[in-house]
Amino acid sequence: MRRGAWRGSLRIRLLAGTMFWIVASVVVAGWGLGGLFRQHLAEQFQAELKTHLDQLTAHLTIDEQGWPALSVPLSDPRLERPYSGLYWQIDDLASGGAAGTPGPRRSRSRSLWDHVLAAPVDAPADGEVHRHRLDGPAGTRLEVIERRVKVDERPETAAREFRLIVAADERLMIDPATRFDSALWLALGLLAGGLVIAALVQVRVGLAPLRELRAALGHLRSGRTPRLEGDFPAEIAPLVDDFNSVLAHNAEVVERARTQAGNLAHALKTPLAILGNAAAGRDDELARLVATQVDAARRQVHYHLARAQAAAAGRLAGARTALGPVLEGLLRAMRRIHAGRDLELVLHPISPDLVFRGEEQDLQEMLGNLLDNACKWTAGRVEIEARLESGGLTIAIDDDGQGIAAGQRDAVLRRGVRADQQVPGSGLGLSIVGDLAQVYGGGLRLADSPLGGLRALLSLPAADGTTRDLPGT
Amino acid sequence: MRLLVVEDDAILRRQVVAGLRAAGYVVDAAADGVDAHHLGDSSPYDAVVLDLGLPQIDGLTVLRKWRAAARDMPVLILTARDGWHEKVAGIDAGADDYLSKPFHMEELLARLRALIRRAGGHASAELACGPLTLDTRQGRVAIDGRVLTLTSHEYRVLAYLMHHRDEVVSRSDLVEHIYAQDFDRDSNTVEVFIARLRKKLPPGLIETVRGLGYRLSAPR
Repeated sequence: MRRGAWRGSLRIRLLAGTMFWIVASVVVAGWGLGGLFRQHLAEQFQAELKTHLDQLTAHLTIDEQGWPALSVPLSDPRLERPYSGLYWQIDDLASGGAAGTPGPRRSRSRSLWDHVLAAPVDAPADGEVHRHRLDGPAGTRLEVIERRVKVDERPETAAREFRLIVAADERLMIDPATRFDSALWLALGLLAGGLVIAALVQVRVGLAPLRELRAALGHLRSGRTPRLEGDFPAEIAPLVDDFNSVLAHNAEVVERARTQAGNLAHALKTPLAILGNAAAGRDDELARLVATQVDAARRQVHYHLARAQAAAAGRLAGARTALGPVLEGLLRAMRRIHAGRDLELVLHPISPDLVFRGEEQDLQEMLGNLLDNACKWTAGRVEIEARLESGGLTIAIDDDGQGIAAGQRDAVLRRGVRADQQVPGSGLGLSIVGDLAQVYGGGLRLADSPLGGLRALLSLPAADGTTRDLPGT
Repeated sequence: MRLLVVEDDAILRRQVVAGLRAAGYVVDAAADGVDAHHLGDSSPYDAVVLDLGLPQIDGLTVLRKWRAAARDMPVLILTARDGWHEKVAGIDAGADDYLSKPFHMEELLARLRALIRRAGGHASAELACGPLTLDTRQGRVAIDGRVLTLTSHEYRVLAYLMHHRDEVVSRSDLVEHIYAQDFDRDSNTVEVFIARLRKKLPPGLIETVRGLGYRLSAPR
């Protein structure tokens, strides 16, 4: 499933790579910058301790009682505030008896209050700086540096040795690092968020032409456009052009097939007419045979031509035909062809919104056959009505003739379904209409007409958007 | 009644022409669009049988040219292409009827009779003028139900007058409609036919309008 999504989505492909790099670079940057800052802080911290130690060394004196003291108080106010985190202590090593152990003579910064720094006993060389970590007051951890200093105050006495200690709470170093870290990660988080949003936007904008392509294909399928329309970027445009030329080629093939079927029919029909006419003038066995065979051949040609038409129907994507003009054209023809019969052909107003999703020729063939049938059987009045019904077109053609008995309607429509078993004949028109309508996903039903005769109900797919964005409506 | 048959297939053309002549029509024939256009444009026909697939100029174009030039004779399209697409195109180009090949000669004759009748403003297949009746389906003339025997030329003259009853028909009009294009015409023969018809018909039916021609009308 996950793998499927990975393979199946350009968006995930593009985003996954980008996300990986964003996360990796943010983590590395945060880790690296944090490390650098900590190192810098540590160095600064040590340097500060050293500075204090140097000051301590420089101001070291021995007071009248022989206690170590400072000639000038050190400047940092933290040394005066109890448990401020910055401390100093001077041990008089010689006074303790054994060399190297601190004796009772010691001075401490005020900040140490009642705490004594218990520095481990070691013996750094004179002037050398040692570092330690000790427990400080109130459970703190201290960073400690020490130095031994020998003071020859008076030449007659032995040199005295002092241990100078400066200590600082390590929180003084850690706290800024922690604050820096949180600020750093917040900034990097914002950066990463911004980059992710930018990547999402980029992918969306970058893939927008694909969505347009899909919309264009949708329009094509629904018959709103005959080809893929729209401006596509250079990467997709060749694909779209190829697709359009395939469509054009398809249309050409369908048109050619239709033309050839028509040509074949034309080529056969003239000789058939000649044969039929030649036989009609005589009354013998041969003439009768020719007459019946010509009639059979005529029906076969008619039947198969109509089948070819149905087979080619619906193959063209994007075809759309407005219903109104086709019906008006057919009614003009009907009025002329049936001019001698004084028929009343009533076309109820057809909304220009009614558009058939298919080809004009097929629509003409279906409606032409139905209208002609109605005109043939009517006693005088034919009514045509069309409307949009549950997403499709429904066209009702009523006549006031004798109609077809309910039991026979199916047979009339089925005729011609199986070409090899059925002899095509009269009524073929209706079955061809049914077949054509089915090819388009519609259908033909026969019912009783309120006018008294037959009602033919033709349902056909409506072109998408027929109720909106029609130019000029 | 004079007809024009336009058909490029020679055998079929001969058959149609023969069938129409046998039915009493005067028939001219054309094999291509140029000839057809010229004939239809220059001679008055009572109806035209027009094939669509013609050499040089196709039938629809010929038809449109005639209609553009106000040639309003009835035109029956006779073609193998019988899709409604083609039928609508043919009717919109100005055709009056449409017959698909192959066809029965009787069907063609019936359609032509209906066209000619309608062009003259007659609704019925039987034309009447006073006691005189003309059954266009059978080419039979009767007076008070008694069938009259006429020669083919007499029939043509009378049929034309019946189709244009109560109108003044000039002698040259009659000549145009009873003789084919290539016939050696003589307008004096029209007077002979009129004289013979007057003998066979009740008096006063055909009157001579001096300087203009003849008029058939029911006696008052």
